[in-house]
Amino acid sequence: MAQQAETAQVYFDDINIGDDVPTVEKGPMSPAHLMRWSAAIENWHRIHYDEVFAKEHDGLPDRLVNGSWKQHVLVQMMKDWAGLGGWLWKIGFQFRGMDVVGDTVTAWGKVIDKQQVGEYGVVECEIGLVNQRGENGTPGTATAVFPIRGGKPIPYPFVPPAE
Amino acid sequence: MTEETLTTLITDEIRELIGVEGEPFEVGEAVESGAVRRFSQATMDDDPAYWDQNHAQQTKYGGVIAPPLYPGFVNRRPAGSPDPLDRFKEDPEWDGTTGGEKPASGGLPPVNLPLRRLLNGGVTAEFFAYAQHGDRITGQQKYIDITERTGRTGLMVIIVTETTYTNQDGVLLCKVRNTSLRR
Repeated sequence: MAQQAETAQVYFDDINIGDDVPTVEKGPMSPAHLMRWSAAIENWHRIHYDEVFAKEHDGLPDRLVNGSWKQHVLVQMMKDWAGLGGWLWKIGFQFRGMDVVGDTVTAWGKVIDKQQVGEYGVVECEIGLVNQRGENGTPGTATAVFPIRGGKPIPYPFVPPAE
Repeated sequence: MTEETLTTLITDEIRELIGVEGEPFEVGEAVESGAVRRFSQATMDDDPAYWDQNHAQQTKYGGVIAPPLYPGFVNRRPAGSPDPLDRFKEDPEWDGTTGGEKPASGGLPPVNLPLRRLLNGGVTAEFFAYAQHGDRITGQQKYIDITERTGRTGLMVIIVTETTYTNQDGVLLCKVRNTSLRR
């Protein structure tokens, strides 16, 4: 259960451009999964739970996996990778593709840049969510800060580096 | 380009909304463990920092926290307020969205558009701290940009809203920019 606490901290020194971020997979997403999310956030948009409405009124292939839900999968991946000693500083993504009931989505990331900025090890990643059809519908980027071996801990609350 | 000059939905009134900030607003209820549990169970993220006080107390958080983007999902319909689902009585075909840019109680004037459909165009977020259970979160919204473009189904209006979330001690939690596509 305390998976995160037991995972060894990743240090800036260990990260290389081109590295993959450990993936996070969710699914297959049943109607119950979608309903659980919509209820948790009190969102009544019918395209997430009303199959007839989604197909006939909105012309969708099926009930859509909420974009509001998908973002947390990407956040979880980056937060867990940064670990308790690191910090997910920035994340951004677009909702371009549709994931529907029955789909499994996997968050992935790839390191595209790393730079030491002051005391911080700043790592830029390309990120996305891919479904089992290979559709990469939620492209984005993320910036995480990692501790440097022998360096200072990253302050909490996080203080962004001076521009 | 010539097509785009034929018609516009962005009136002077809408253009003047760019840069407008809403009044700070308290986002619903204090961060409660039950809501955090339902949230983390629905996202299938079992990070013990969300629920295990013994674990969380030994981390830099000092106690159980809410997920990073949680402050944007704390809005709740206040008890005793009108039921939005009453709308089905008059409009059985209603799509269930409470309309426009979220949240309805965000203190920003609405962008009045003759467009019914709302799509979530994307999110960017910057994190500084995580909300603790019991925190009372304040949000303040601002219209960053309102633009339009012609898509396959006609004009689409793109609204970028930033919400800054702080806790009761004034600690900055996160800044979230939402892009809403209206068409």
